[in-house]
Amino acid sequence: MVLQAVGLAHSFGERRALAGLDLTIQPGVLTGLLGPNGAGKTTLMRAMLGVIQPDAGHILLDGRPVTFADRQRWGYMPQERGLYPRMPAAEQLAYMARLHGLDRRSAQRRARALLDELGLADRWSERTEKLSGGMQQRLQLGAALVHDPDVIVLDEPFAGLDPVAVAELSVALRERVGAGRTVVFSSHQLDLVQDLCEDIVMIDHGRTVLAGRVDRLRSSTGRRHLRLGVAPGAPRDWLTAFPEVHVVDDQVDALRLDLPAEVDPLAVLDAARAAGPVTDFGLDLPTLSQLFLGALGQDSSDASGAPDGGLDGSAA
Amino acid sequence: MNTTHWSGVRLVAGRTITEGLASRSWRIMTALMLLAGLAVVVVPRLVGDDATSYTLARVGDAPDALLSQLQATATAGEFELTVVAVPDVEAARAAVRDGDADAALTDEGPSGRLYVAAQQVGTFPVLVSQAVVSLTLTERLVAAGLSPDEVEAIRATPPPEQVPVGRVADEGRAGVGFAVGIVLYLALILAGTTVASAVATEKSTRISEVLLAVLRPRQLLVGTVLGVGALALGQIAALVVPAMVGVVTSDALDLPAAAATDVLLGVVWFAAGLLLYAFVFAALGALVDKPTDVGSATLPANAVLIGSYLLAVTVTVANPNSWASVAASLFPLSAPLVMPVRWASGLVPGWQLALALVLTVAASVWLARFAAQIYARGLARSGRRVSLREVLPGWTDRS
Repeated sequence: MVLQAVGLAHSFGERRALAGLDLTIQPGVLTGLLGPNGAGKTTLMRAMLGVIQPDAGHILLDGRPVTFADRQRWGYMPQERGLYPRMPAAEQLAYMARLHGLDRRSAQRRARALLDELGLADRWSERTEKLSGGMQQRLQLGAALVHDPDVIVLDEPFAGLDPVAVAELSVALRERVGAGRTVVFSSHQLDLVQDLCEDIVMIDHGRTVLAGRVDRLRSSTGRRHLRLGVAPGAPRDWLTAFPEVHVVDDQVDALRLDLPAEVDPLAVLDAARAAGPVTDFGLDLPTLSQLFLGALGQDSSDASGAPDGGLDGSAA
Repeated sequence: MNTTHWSGVRLVAGRTITEGLASRSWRIMTALMLLAGLAVVVVPRLVGDDATSYTLARVGDAPDALLSQLQATATAGEFELTVVAVPDVEAARAAVRDGDADAALTDEGPSGRLYVAAQQVGTFPVLVSQAVVSLTLTERLVAAGLSPDEVEAIRATPPPEQVPVGRVADEGRAGVGFAVGIVLYLALILAGTTVASAVATEKSTRISEVLLAVLRPRQLLVGTVLGVGALALGQIAALVVPAMVGVVTSDALDLPAAAATDVLLGVVWFAAGLLLYAFVFAALGALVDKPTDVGSATLPANAVLIGSYLLAVTVTVANPNSWASVAASLFPLSAPLVMPVRWASGLVPGWQLALALVLTVAASVWLARFAAQIYARGLARSGRRVSLREVLPGWTDRS
């Protein structure tokens, strides 16, 4: 199912959280909703889920306005934990499944199956408050997935996870994506998730600043980073031959150079080797955070002509 | 696969009840209520046994006629009588002085003497005196030549009927009204605070966030109120049922039959009051960010409850039919506390009771709709204490 937001706007008193935001999330593609803290990600997700009623705009599912009944088939994992501390783990999941309309027996069967999948099989009768933080986070994910939802919305699911847990979670999400579900998650750690998601929507100050396929976005700018390992204290004067090249990072034995599309990386590498020994080198596409900063620069220059610029710094 | 409105409400209420039944505080409160209910039945019986037993010391042989007369009085007055024989007047005085006897009867002088404690011991000496006088009177009438039937006719002269005069028709029943008032007040405060805490806890733990993605705010609100209400009714039942059974099956409490109706009516008023206040408490609970702020957030509702209660136990108890009492017993917010107290005075026309109930239920429905909007808007704003003003329906169209 294609999930869309059209012209979404919402304010909390004087504070504008969403400022006419548009986005489209395709099924079968893991989509990351990225942006810094305060960009409006959580408000956007709460509006999509109907937790809050936006001041303006619509949420569409396959092109028609989403209904309360549609949302019964959605799964939502909020950023902060939302579990009953005294409820046993399996009961917690079964309760959520029943709220989504499953009968008692299938709710319990699904709860057990999901606890198995999440590695919590031996904890099914344990009270939630007795579980470790990581286990509670997995249980929270379980609460969002227990009814096998068509649309899965996860708010900062990777925050605070160790690398193993990040890998496990992304496997669980890819499985759902592979089954044709619509899956979107948010993150403010852009570089952590750049290898996890296929599609991204970057938002800032309540509006979309960049959206599309991650690999295409990263290669479309034409900019690359050349990473060079050099002898400690080696001279840098050879760089003057490349005025278009911008030094991103300069350490005693390492250089990171930003290369525009027209500069041949091999020519730069040759010049470096001519000046001294090169111990290591590599060519990187720009990271998501660099893309974001780039998009932001573009966005702010676009917006500078408009009277209300959209960058009033009010979204803290 | 869709959850209908009521199945969602039922799930929420069921979960609330399950958690409540498992919680230690609910179990302790219910046990205390049960104990209090049993105490109402048991304690008066224990205390009562002590108070209604008298001992009469007697010098010399008591005439059988006097003893049977006293025994008849004891049976009618519902006390037990023990007569002990003492050798002389000195022993009789000592028995009374030491508390071994409540009174001592001797045959000194023309009509005997009755020794009593310096501190009065109630009506017992009067009863003994009356028995002696009555017996002597009978003897003299017989001596004067009257037949036993004529003597009996004279002795059967009825005393004037006693009519209690006061503002309240029945002191015992007014006492029941007073007790119902206290229990209602405490139960409503407790249930209201429980609802507000449940809502605030769900909000602060962000559970409401998950729930609102699948339930409508109204389903969550009604389910929580019904769940907490059922738990509170269970507690009230633990208090009232043993007490009622005790009152009905024994006469230890000596309450008029109308008192039983007053107590049942109290339960009805509790349900009505709960309906009225629970939604208000829930809405106020939805405004806080931390559960510890529930106390200050629910202050307005608590203040109205306290005010109504004070009105009931001062103005209404003193004068159930003053204009202030009538108004307060009909006004929906104060009716649940004032009307049960006023009703127990026995001076309330039935139509006023019916009107008060109808007004309260109507106000509940209106208030519940209003509270549901505040509740939904309150839950949607987290991270800080929400002021009532910014979520009042009609104040702003944002949510």
